[in-house]
Amino acid sequence: MRRALYLTFALACALALATAASGEHASTPGVTATEVVIGGTIPVTGVASAYKTVGYGAAAYFRYVNAHGGVNKRKIRYIIKDDQYDPAQTIGKTRELVEQDHVFAIFNSLGTEHNLATRPYLNALKVPQLFVASGATTWGRDSKQWPWTIGYQPNYRAEGTIYGRYVAKISPKARAGVLYQDDDYGKDLLAGLRKGLGKKKNLIVSAQGYNVDDPDVRSQIARLKAARANTLMVFATPKFAIQSYVFARQLGWKPKVYMNAVSSASNVMGIAAQPTVAGKKQVEGTISIVFLKDPNDPRWAKDRGIRLYRTIMKRYKGTNPKDVYNVYGMSVAHTFVEALKKAGRNPTRDSIMRAARHLNIHNDPFLLPGVVVRTTPGDGFPLDQARLERYHKGRWVSFGGLFRVR
Amino acid sequence: MRRAVGIGLWVLVVAAGLALFVFLPHLVSDFHSRDLARAGVFFIAIVGLNLLTGYTGQISLGHGALMAIGGYTTAALVVHEHWRDVWTIPLAGIAAGIVGFVIGLPALRLSGPYLALATFGFAVAMPSLLKKFSGLTGGTQGLRFLESSPQQVTGLTGSVTILGHSTTQNHFLYYLTWAIGIVGLATAWLIVRGRVGRVFRAVRDSETAAVSSGVNLAATKTLAFALSGVYAGVAGALLAIQDEIVNPLSFGFLLSILILVGAVVGGLGSLPGLVLGALFVQYLPDLSTHVSTRPGVPDFVYGAAIIVLMILLPSGAGGLLRRVAGPLTTRLYTRP
Repeated sequence: MRRALYLTFALACALALATAASGEHASTPGVTATEVVIGGTIPVTGVASAYKTVGYGAAAYFRYVNAHGGVNKRKIRYIIKDDQYDPAQTIGKTRELVEQDHVFAIFNSLGTEHNLATRPYLNALKVPQLFVASGATTWGRDSKQWPWTIGYQPNYRAEGTIYGRYVAKISPKARAGVLYQDDDYGKDLLAGLRKGLGKKKNLIVSAQGYNVDDPDVRSQIARLKAARANTLMVFATPKFAIQSYVFARQLGWKPKVYMNAVSSASNVMGIAAQPTVAGKKQVEGTISIVFLKDPNDPRWAKDRGIRLYRTIMKRYKGTNPKDVYNVYGMSVAHTFVEALKKAGRNPTRDSIMRAARHLNIHNDPFLLPGVVVRTTPGDGFPLDQARLERYHKGRWVSFGGLFRVR
Repeated sequence: MRRAVGIGLWVLVVAAGLALFVFLPHLVSDFHSRDLARAGVFFIAIVGLNLLTGYTGQISLGHGALMAIGGYTTAALVVHEHWRDVWTIPLAGIAAGIVGFVIGLPALRLSGPYLALATFGFAVAMPSLLKKFSGLTGGTQGLRFLESSPQQVTGLTGSVTILGHSTTQNHFLYYLTWAIGIVGLATAWLIVRGRVGRVFRAVRDSETAAVSSGVNLAATKTLAFALSGVYAGVAGALLAIQDEIVNPLSFGFLLSILILVGAVVGGLGSLPGLVLGALFVQYLPDLSTHVSTRPGVPDFVYGAAIIVLMILLPSGAGGLLRRVAGPLTTRLYTRP
């Protein structure tokens, strides 16, 4: 028995203790005469692997740029690390990119939780955390506190606000049920929805959260139906978004659906619309927002940007050109290239950050006409325009004008 | 003379082991030491489980949950109370030791597969419990060290200075983890070779015989659970410190199974083989994805590897070591 006490005591005493000290590189890591090395984490496998093309699309665009001479004669090397959508892995892999691969900047890392988990580290080291693939509001709003971090896509709160205003306007008697991912991302959308509904916020009759590690959302959908909702707001990632159609159909429930943009890509909708999944009837009339050109939309068949997209996908090892997340990846890569050009002949971490905060790109070929990538030191939201769209007969049709979303 | 040779051999083996411990991180890339540090976490938990399962004969499938107690103790102290991360390790061990004592109580009534199932239930319930008390545990999102108190993370910027000597964070984590692991192993060795160890083994071999020889069964079993819990708690704390985040996913029930796999592969009822058990648990998943990344194939390879190993080495790596070293040492001993 006494030995047992010794053991505990020994373990407690056995620690040699340490204090942290910081060290910094003086020159610019990741930039040589011929190369700029950047990297980011993408869920190549795991529950959110549908997003892997966000990385692959960007990689294909960089190969295209490199084949055409690169930027200031430097090739862009983009290292993708698979974090399996697990924030613990994001931290490890991001540290690996910074400390072992000595990247110039972290670029296009995907996920809200995941980027939140690494933001303090990257800011402490003054490593640019560029164009994070998440629509959380904090990326644009809190740039004073986190000067080395900047987002890209329209933010979730603004997206929720658009849906709220639209519902309040066109169906003031709606009974809205909300399915949301119970984390910063889902709650951001829900908060936006409440804000957009304004005085009508009691139109929300039920809000059901799910956890990323839940197997499915069957019980949440059943509860929303039981609350006699006739409008279903889906603030969920693709796998759960598709499930929500499937379980609604199994319950014989046909609400009007609002699908958040992170799951409204036409390839995801196409899966939901298959007769063995949820069927065309169930997805017909779904409403979402859009800011990218959809390569599956015949309207863009002859568009210069989408033609470039197809060429790049064919020649530079793209995967599945129908996948809209590729377009997103190319758009964000296009913005990085523009920022890098602006960052000077010999870019530094300071100068790329300054460039990222002074963007004014009117010619991004992958975005809807009229959508501008614009930032100022006081405005940390690169993309803040979108249109509403409705899913009709197997494809998205946009309607109304461009919204400025804030 | 025989004794001198025996001791000499021991000293050699221990010295070689220590030399390997000191120089290994310099032989691999800096970042690889992080993987080795994680293997060290498994090692500590496996040593603890071996005290319980290998020496006392109580099967636990709930060690992942005990690691969660340790990991969350560390995380809560760092995030809510702003303690420096490494200082929380002793408390994490004590907390998990207490919980280990409590889950040891059912072991007084249950045995064999029934005990295994009861502890497994604990492991399965743990993630839901963690989500339930979200005020303390951060719910699904867990607790992020870097966001809430970056100043308390040792080696935030990638380097650590100890007594004026600067090293990388990865090396620091490696040395910290394995130093604790070695102390833990030595402590376990001291325990099993003494009176407590004999009592443990007596309970394992026959509870009835042990009781009739005057062994206090209740005290022995709960002591084994508590001791084992301390190891698991320390391992969980180190895992949290390495990850710089805890969430319910980090401590799923699979972790409990992995630790048992490591203990069995390493050799139940022996200590030196456990290093191999830890390396097995750490590296096999990676190695099996090298075979093929097609869905299902890595899992198949993983399972097949365990089955093959159990057929070839029924007593684990520890048994193999004994078989290899046995003839060698007996020959040395018998020839003066």
